[in-house]
Amino acid sequence: MPEPDERSRAIIDGLEAIDPRYVLHLPSSTLTHIINHMLARPNTTTFPIPREEEGVGILSGLELAGSRAVAIIQDNGVGNLLTALTTFPMAYHIPQFYIVSRRGGLNEYNSMIHTLCDRVPAILDAAGVRYFDLDGRTPIDRWATTVEKAYEYSRTTHRPVMLLTNLMEG
Amino acid sequence: MPEMTRTDALKAIDAAFPTDPIVVNVGAAIREMVAAVGYKPNHLHILDSMGLPPAIGLGLSMGLAESKFEKVVTIEGDGGLLMGFSALSTIGMLKPGKMVLVILDNGTYGSTGHQPTAAHTTDFAGTARACGMEGHDVETLDELKAALEESKSIDAPVLIRAKINLQGQKTPYFLEDPVVLADTFRRYLTGSAKE
Repeated sequence: MPEPDERSRAIIDGLEAIDPRYVLHLPSSTLTHIINHMLARPNTTTFPIPREEEGVGILSGLELAGSRAVAIIQDNGVGNLLTALTTFPMAYHIPQFYIVSRRGGLNEYNSMIHTLCDRVPAILDAAGVRYFDLDGRTPIDRWATTVEKAYEYSRTTHRPVMLLTNLMEG
Repeated sequence: MPEMTRTDALKAIDAAFPTDPIVVNVGAAIREMVAAVGYKPNHLHILDSMGLPPAIGLGLSMGLAESKFEKVVTIEGDGGLLMGFSALSTIGMLKPGKMVLVILDNGTYGSTGHQPTAAHTTDFAGTARACGMEGHDVETLDELKAALEESKSIDAPVLIRAKINLQGQKTPYFLEDPVVLADTFRRYLTGSAKE
């Protein structure tokens, strides 16, 4: 298996610092290295979820029970989870953390995915969902720390937080 | 017409699990539960989010696997279950031994005016078994009570489909701040509930 690229490696380092007990993930080609690392990680239960909104529910239950958990999804699934996110963890002040891979933009090969993905920040702004960006504007040596701090921000604000992470070339 | 009312079923669930965590699904079930047994700190009331309770119950059941609680109960309607049907597959895959999922099936979306659901052509208990859960159908209050008791000795996720009638109670809206609901429930789980 090829070694992770440096952006994926940095996200893995950030997740290691968080030390989650549970990791939920959607399928994703761009997130392969990260998901595979978490699947192989001892003492962490990493499992697939079939829909983003189901992940919102599971993550909320884990958080209420006091478990450290992280969800890994793609931004083209953000549209699926907005109702669940706004009516439950946002309304109830249940912290939770999402690593969200960005699609669309530079190096995108899919001819239709950009229609939603390019607008995800605007959609999240409109819904009042807090997010941080992690892309080429952030030096690679600060990526892992940003992952950890974004997770902590969800704790201190008692809200869902998303880290919009560009693992392509943007 | 089933003889069991929703309030009958809710009282039976609360009586079987008086101190274990119970996720109560949207709308009429919350109002009737509060009217029947009061606002209890071990009850998590899901004011909206139709279809989400089974997933929430799954997360709780995993997170509380090593806790003092005997079971983690989730109440859902037939319409709500169909909105989040994929959760059965995930529950069957992860097999949380403390999870009890009770489906109150009146064949309609009861909180929105009783529009019909596809429950009458869907074998919920059979689907649960096919997904790797235990699955039971109950038609009467005595059968429900027996199934709830039996679930306590099963170290596997259990789905109980309880057929209820359309009879509902006139109850006031339950308008508590959701932040308070979550905080009360979380404090109960962590044993730091205020006296």
